[in-house]
Amino acid sequence: MFRTDKMNSIESSERTVVRVAAAGSEADPPEAVKRTDARVVPVGSTGVTALEPLVAVTRGGRTAFHARCSVDRLEGVVAAAEEADDVTAGDPDAVVDHDPDATRLPAVDLPGLSAGRRDVLGACGWRRPTSADDHEAAGGFADHDAADVFDAGADLRGRGWGDACHDDPVGESWATARDADGDAAVVVNAHGSPADALLLASAPLEVLDGATTLADAVGATEVVVYASSDDARAVETAREAVEAHPDPVVPVEVVTGPPEYRAGEPTMALEAIEGNHRLEARLRPPGPERVGLDGRPTLVHTPRTLAHLAVGLRGDDGDEGGDTRLVTVRGDVETPATVELPETASLSAAVDAVDVDGTLKAACVGGRFGGLTADLGVAAGPDALADAGLGTEGVVEVLSEGRCLVEFVGRRTRYAAEENCGRCVPCREGSTQLANLLRDVYDGEYDPEGVAELVGVMERSSICEFGVNAGRPARTATTEFALEFEAHADGQCPAGNCFDAREAPEVTTST
Amino acid sequence: MSSDRSEVDVPPLTEGIAPGTATDPDVGSDEAATVTVDGTDVTVPAGSTLLDAVDAVETDGYVPALCHYGRQDIGPRSECRTCMVETESDGVVPACSFPAEDGAVVDTDAGEAAEARDVNLDLVLSDHNLRCTTCGKNGRCELQDASIDQGVEEPRYGVLDDRDQYEPLDDSSSFIQIDRNKCILCNRCVEACNDVQVEGVLRMEGTGNDTRIGFQNGAETMEDSTCVSCGHCVTVCPTGSLVEKGIENATTIPIPGFNQKNSIGKTYENTDSTGSSGTVGRSDNQMTPQKRDQRTLESEEAPPESDGPDVVDPASEVWDDERRDWP
Repeated sequence: MFRTDKMNSIESSERTVVRVAAAGSEADPPEAVKRTDARVVPVGSTGVTALEPLVAVTRGGRTAFHARCSVDRLEGVVAAAEEADDVTAGDPDAVVDHDPDATRLPAVDLPGLSAGRRDVLGACGWRRPTSADDHEAAGGFADHDAADVFDAGADLRGRGWGDACHDDPVGESWATARDADGDAAVVVNAHGSPADALLLASAPLEVLDGATTLADAVGATEVVVYASSDDARAVETAREAVEAHPDPVVPVEVVTGPPEYRAGEPTMALEAIEGNHRLEARLRPPGPERVGLDGRPTLVHTPRTLAHLAVGLRGDDGDEGGDTRLVTVRGDVETPATVELPETASLSAAVDAVDVDGTLKAACVGGRFGGLTADLGVAAGPDALADAGLGTEGVVEVLSEGRCLVEFVGRRTRYAAEENCGRCVPCREGSTQLANLLRDVYDGEYDPEGVAELVGVMERSSICEFGVNAGRPARTATTEFALEFEAHADGQCPAGNCFDAREAPEVTTST
Repeated sequence: MSSDRSEVDVPPLTEGIAPGTATDPDVGSDEAATVTVDGTDVTVPAGSTLLDAVDAVETDGYVPALCHYGRQDIGPRSECRTCMVETESDGVVPACSFPAEDGAVVDTDAGEAAEARDVNLDLVLSDHNLRCTTCGKNGRCELQDASIDQGVEEPRYGVLDDRDQYEPLDDSSSFIQIDRNKCILCNRCVEACNDVQVEGVLRMEGTGNDTRIGFQNGAETMEDSTCVSCGHCVTVCPTGSLVEKGIENATTIPIPGFNQKNSIGKTYENTDSTGSSGTVGRSDNQMTPQKRDQRTLESEEAPPESDGPDVVDPASEVWDDERRDWP
């Protein structure tokens, strides 16, 4: 067994603390490590998995970081530090001096971890995910007046398409739910987004703290944490965190839904929680804040939104001020990473945190149905992204030079045609016809006006965000990369993928 | 309080009913409202939608509202989106499922709303086989009426004309014929079957372009379903998808050799009661299967929450859009 005296937070420890940050389950540390005085604690992923397992050896106010440190190497690192009585022994990749009582991962000059800030991500890779003591030492579980919570909600905008207030200030829906008849519920919708899964796996108490604080403020009687059954680690950690929560004001339940993308849509999440065997979007208005889970007023927020609430209420969101955004970079990269950027920082800062496979050609910004652009100079905030016609899901999918964008958009559109819930015509039939219009390009018929007309109607008249966004890859690509489409209509694929390669093996991606 | 509301006497019969559709909120207005539609003031009672107001006036633009039924508490499904109108306060909204709020100003002729109705009607047609001349609903079809009133001459996206893609005609019931190639997925039949008749036979199943009307017991044909042949689904069907047997060719253009069956090409025929299909619960001279027996049998074989083709398809669980060739 580890020496993990659960009654104490790590920060109050006088001994050497060895944090092992990893996204997967950790191997048992070698016997030799267990025999030392050092206290080895598994913590969650930092979001930058390329560095993991990331070992951080801390004594007092000094931490030495060892990237990609295997279990075997861990033994040597700990032994060296103990022998020399100096954490910097054992050839670390970086050494940082910080406040001895630091409750979040200190700024460190390692690739990926040096990008942006770590306010909402502060707990990730530093605090034990399910340790109430660690969370309390960081200022968590504080009581907040409902008025303060509502003040915070006035400026807070929902993060991600799984949030019923995507990009909108959340405060109005909170007041509606508080004033509506019936016992309100708070749903934590962690389905599908990599940043939300990271928060649930690495900082679940931050999320639960936000959720229970909100439940208390609006008089809700239940919190339901909802996640994809595929995110096993996040679900397991969330369940442990619920157990570890010292004093939840209301009962908290963890529920899983099917892994399909559409199951993350807020009303389909409610359908899944209610146990419907088939998921489709609900009509609105009235939205879930009036009629939601089992007909009760229901606030559906993502872990990102709720963690921002919790951190913001503590005043723990940095000296520089201003909101931040979690941005996950994946696609044609060596290893995906999630970083936290000020809303004013450009997306290129996030892409700099990863190693791109080859040269970047474009990026699909804003999740599965994001917008395609070659210009990553756009700021990470939702207004700037919307102005640029891009998505605000917090995912940047890198497309490298070898990629054919016509093919990418075609595949993404066909995905929409197959995976939509099947309810409304603009999404169900529109995505099918959009895929047909894109396929026609290969037969020499490129109709950009037809694409624009159809995508406009899908955006304007679909029931939920699935259909509203499904045409965005096509809309953005046909405007920004029109030449590629015209070339295909002439029988040429600039990337060399489409025509002579029809028989060749399929392109693979790292997503 | 609402916690009591959900405990109001639910007939035990409905417990096992699983129509596969979402539980929509009540979309009507909270109170009576005066709405301005194309410059005309209309007062509608509590519980109304904008479509109630739109229906009360002679509108500038044609609003098909194709999937809307508006009777017997069926709908609004709001799936066809051919009722989009422009409002001053909320932009383009579906009139059939948007509450009529006092002071709302509706413009049916606005360009973006009119374009959405037009494109969405064409999208409905794109998945409809449009074999009107061999259709039993020719001349009494809501889709045909809407298309004529809209002035559709050549739908943008064509029609479902590839016979290889046709679903077989289900002619297996003695009373009701199903042609899914003409279905617009308005869900009226599912609601009539489950919410009005409380029979629990029909359901919505599948996703994306594979969405279809199926049977809650997982049967492939009407004959093997638990249908009691009440016929309500037929009376609500807006198109030729569900027609009464005996008049399925009533309005067919009388050209010898052309009929509903051979317009599709593939048919599920009725199996004799002594046939080899293994039909459960049916005996000689019985008009409809013994649905209670069959339901019991089905539930023994597989729990209702895990049967049927619309549960998660393992192949689609993981997102991988490189799965198949493109284009």
